[in-house]
Amino acid sequence: MSGSSQSVLTTGDPGHAVAEHNPVAGLAHDSRGGISNPILGMLLFICSEIMFFSGLFAAYFSVRASTTPWPPVEPADIAEHFNLHSEPWFAAILTVILVVSSVTCQLGVWAIRRDDRTGFIRNIGVTVVLGIVFLIGQAYDYATLGFGIGDTTFGTTFYTLTGFHGAHVFGGVVMLSVVLYRGLAGQFSSRHHDAVEASSLYWHFVDVVWIALFSTLYIL
Amino acid sequence: MATTTLTPAASTYRSGLYEWITTTDHKKIGILYLLNSFLFFFIGGLLALGVRTELAIPGLQLLTNEGLYNQFFTMHGTVMIFLFIIPILAGFGNYVVPLQIGAPDMAFPRINALSFWMLPLGGILLLMGFLTGGAASAGWTSYAPLSEDRIGAAVNDAAGSGQDLWIMALVLIGTSSILGSVNFLVTIFKMRAPGMTLFRMPILVWTVLVTSVLVLMATPVITSALIMLFIDRNYGGHFFDPATGGNAILWQNVFWFYSHPAVYVMVLPAMGMISEILPVFSRKPLFGYRAFVFATAGIGALGFSVWAHHMFTTGAVYLPFFSLMTFLIAVPTGVKMFNWIFTLFRGKLTFSTPLLFALGFLSMFLIGGINGAFSAAVPVDFALHDTYWVVAHLHYVLFGGSVFGVMAGLYYWFPKMTGRMLGEGLGKVQFVLMFIGFNLTFFPMHQLGLAGMPRRIADYAANAGWNDLNLLATVGGFMIGASMIPLLWNVFISLRAGKIAGDDPWEANTLEWATSSPPPPYNFDRLPEIRSERPLFDLRHGRTANH
Amino acid sequence: MSSTPGSRPSTTAIIGWLIAAAVIVALAVLLVLNGAAVWNSFFPPEAKSVQGQEIRNLYDIVFVIAAVIFLIVEGLIVWTVIRYRRKPGDDELPAQTHGNNLAEAIWTIVPTIIVIFLFVISWQSLNKIETVSATPDLRVRAVAGQFQWSFEYLPADADATTKALFTVNAPLGPDGGLVLPAGQTTHLYLRSTDVIHAFYVPQFLFKRDVVPQKNPLHDNQFDLDIPASGAGQTYRGQCAELCGVGHRIMVFEVRALAPAEFQAWYDKQVAAVNATAPPAPSGGQAGPPVNVTAQGVKFLEPTLTAPAAGFTFHFDNKDAGTPHDLDIVASDGKKVFDSKEFPGPAVQDLPVPPIPAGTYQFICSIHPTLMTGTLTVQ
Repeated sequence: MSGSSQSVLTTGDPGHAVAEHNPVAGLAHDSRGGISNPILGMLLFICSEIMFFSGLFAAYFSVRASTTPWPPVEPADIAEHFNLHSEPWFAAILTVILVVSSVTCQLGVWAIRRDDRTGFIRNIGVTVVLGIVFLIGQAYDYATLGFGIGDTTFGTTFYTLTGFHGAHVFGGVVMLSVVLYRGLAGQFSSRHHDAVEASSLYWHFVDVVWIALFSTLYIL
Repeated sequence: MATTTLTPAASTYRSGLYEWITTTDHKKIGILYLLNSFLFFFIGGLLALGVRTELAIPGLQLLTNEGLYNQFFTMHGTVMIFLFIIPILAGFGNYVVPLQIGAPDMAFPRINALSFWMLPLGGILLLMGFLTGGAASAGWTSYAPLSEDRIGAAVNDAAGSGQDLWIMALVLIGTSSILGSVNFLVTIFKMRAPGMTLFRMPILVWTVLVTSVLVLMATPVITSALIMLFIDRNYGGHFFDPATGGNAILWQNVFWFYSHPAVYVMVLPAMGMISEILPVFSRKPLFGYRAFVFATAGIGALGFSVWAHHMFTTGAVYLPFFSLMTFLIAVPTGVKMFNWIFTLFRGKLTFSTPLLFALGFLSMFLIGGINGAFSAAVPVDFALHDTYWVVAHLHYVLFGGSVFGVMAGLYYWFPKMTGRMLGEGLGKVQFVLMFIGFNLTFFPMHQLGLAGMPRRIADYAANAGWNDLNLLATVGGFMIGASMIPLLWNVFISLRAGKIAGDDPWEANTLEWATSSPPPPYNFDRLPEIRSERPLFDLRHGRTANH
Repeated sequence: MSSTPGSRPSTTAIIGWLIAAAVIVALAVLLVLNGAAVWNSFFPPEAKSVQGQEIRNLYDIVFVIAAVIFLIVEGLIVWTVIRYRRKPGDDELPAQTHGNNLAEAIWTIVPTIIVIFLFVISWQSLNKIETVSATPDLRVRAVAGQFQWSFEYLPADADATTKALFTVNAPLGPDGGLVLPAGQTTHLYLRSTDVIHAFYVPQFLFKRDVVPQKNPLHDNQFDLDIPASGAGQTYRGQCAELCGVGHRIMVFEVRALAPAEFQAWYDKQVAAVNATAPPAPSGGQAGPPVNVTAQGVKFLEPTLTAPAAGFTFHFDNKDAGTPHDLDIVASDGKKVFDSKEFPGPAVQDLPVPPIPAGTYQFICSIHPTLMTGTLTVQ
């Protein structure tokens, strides 16, 4: 999705070219200013993503409300691992990583708005690396948790929520990598960087979802 | 494409298969949507005829394997909803919306092509179930835990890969819808021609806008539900399995949270098409344009608070709230009905085929609205739920409403799409067959439901008193099937030798008729001034006539 | 415009008349042949329970309002369409009316009042139907599993978790069904052993889903009052929620008995359970074992072979909660062996007396369409 949206933007398509070259009333649709098409598109897409995670969260809370005690205490040998509240430190570190990456991402956006390409590339580069570190950290966490997706509703909801968040982080990393690659190729400037803005919005969204997940799974 | 009266400006407009497969032109994609949807319409129709044939008389004759019968009605519902009605309305939206707002294309042409191509792929995935040991058979609603294979695998038939293919296909089609809705919203918000303010937009554009909001907010929820079901089925999850702490009703909540708004997704654009057609053929503006817009938005908003009226008999929802909301949604719907009637009132009606189908929509959707009110009264729903009454109700809405609307739209915009008119005579033959066949099929289902015939049964006792009405419904079903023959023949001969349409064969109101038929790749050489919701009317009769 | 020359009747007019004629002729034929039956077909059956009567009263009100609205609006559509058709050659524009605030206000407010009225009366009758007596005369748990109903009779002070006093396993027939006392209040619990089913009796105008729950206290429950006049009647019930390939065969009967008769039946059932006769292998003629397994409402063995001198079915019912039996049917349809059903998972040995050599069918008489096989006796 992200790839095509960006390429539409940069390559431009003949339709827009025709529109711009024909000074005909009614076709100069993009000249009115305001929010650009790719950014509006991304905002709307994020709305749908919010609803997607709302569905998963609704399922989580529905299951949690009908299970007492929560986390479940049976089967005992697995249930002892369910107590995520007692050691949220590893997840807290992951949270910090993701929040910092959001900050660096935004620094990158501000940099390109000033036409500071070096700062832009450096910050987006750091963001991508932090994203990858987060994914590795989550993989490590999965490997050491001691329960699986089939271990009661606790395991099912935990892995579904964090798994789909992880998939979104992966998507965000891919998106930012494309932005980085195109930034290295010199395709962005202060006037022309909708793809950067759109990707950073998505990245912030992914970050916010994680904060909600961390609060729900490890603290609440 | 057929001959046009106006040579397209761009001479690079190549035709041929390659051009169609790689196109990002919203008009070609729109036509691809229509073709694909009609293909699945016929597949879904054949499945329905299989079901009706089995039910014609008591005893098992055609689908003696009841698992296969379950596959037939499951796939009929799924195909008709997800691969016919929703996509064909998106197809009309694709073709017409950019033209009506004076835009050269959709906002994201390549994403538009992507959204389309996900549909045939999803359709193939879905139907592949028939070849891999059984398609999905738990009903188009796929209630858990029946749709989970671990409980009584052998008797559910959900054990096979058909149910998984169903899930994957629906995720794919849902993603297509979401991307399409983002595209529509950005197009409508950002690409309107100068002068095309929100309250000068044609009603079809308004309905597509509200529909897109519904799709955007509701479809991701069913995607999450489908993924949970997939995890339960394939990775040992426990979302919907009560034995291990899951919740069977959870599926129904998340499913209907999408699928009730989806009903409005399936009917609002058809309402929009009717609202384009009625004014043109009565030569009057739409009565109460603003009220109509607010009613559309109201239906959209209320549409999110009525999902549990599908679950009155589960004993798991707060009945008075959902009952009240369901009753209230009748109000904006009623407003629209009266707006339409008073558009006709004191008009000068020309009974071309589009108007006939639009009138079919009006008179049949009225029944679909009224018989829905019965089920909003919770105790009455205790009697009617899951009987053939519900089958009658939903078909009066989705067939009597949407499909009649689709046919009206097809006859109305075919000249714009191809440059040629569809034949009026054959159109009217099709209308009569479809109108009578439709009522023969679905009206008796009210009585069958009242007499206690449940849905989704392959057979019934010969002494249950349901024989005559079932036979009648089956005869009607074949009549609907027969009504497709004049349609296909009409399209076939009209494409070759139909009357040349010209730019504006209907003396219509909206911008798509200001360009050639078919329009050039980027739609307009120049646009008329837009000073009202009927720019072409203003052009024809002068601005002062618009009062 | 592509329409109608003025000289001959237009195709549209012909079509309009055709539809009208077809509808009128069809309606006339129907009404002449069977007016009362047509009228009655617009209503649910006469209600046979107190709650059902409440629903029927509500239905009648909704029907009248709906019919009036339908006639007015549909009539308005038809009248408008006929009245305002364009005359040939008339090219003048009609008045360009954009709206009328008063009219629009009226058709917003009046429907709002109507639907709120409907909501209020349906809420009131809902409250009556949902009322549950603290001291019902009888408590029964209807148990639904693929594809079979059974009915567990509970002690007077039971809740949804209580164990049954006795169970009626056959959903139909003179020895089966949900047997209830007429003129008394029964409290029903609905328990599912697998997927969602629905308890539906058309003549009670009522259904309620049988939702699988881990905690029986969450099971759906409701009160059912059959009036005294219902004594001796039998009502057909059926599962109303798709539950798999055997959904259609999940039928049951509700038999209403006069209280005295019911008590006699009830006492007999209790006595039968208390007798606790262990299933003694009758006679001593148990022959060699023949293994039969029922799983997923199917026999795993499509064909069996057995000696004519008598043998013993080693019958393994693996379907948890679903009762099966095992009968042998000769080619003329006569049952030569008839066993008692039992719910799985369980294994029983069923001694079969000597039967003549030949080819027979073995079936589960509860699931005769799904569970059959061929038995060759040598």
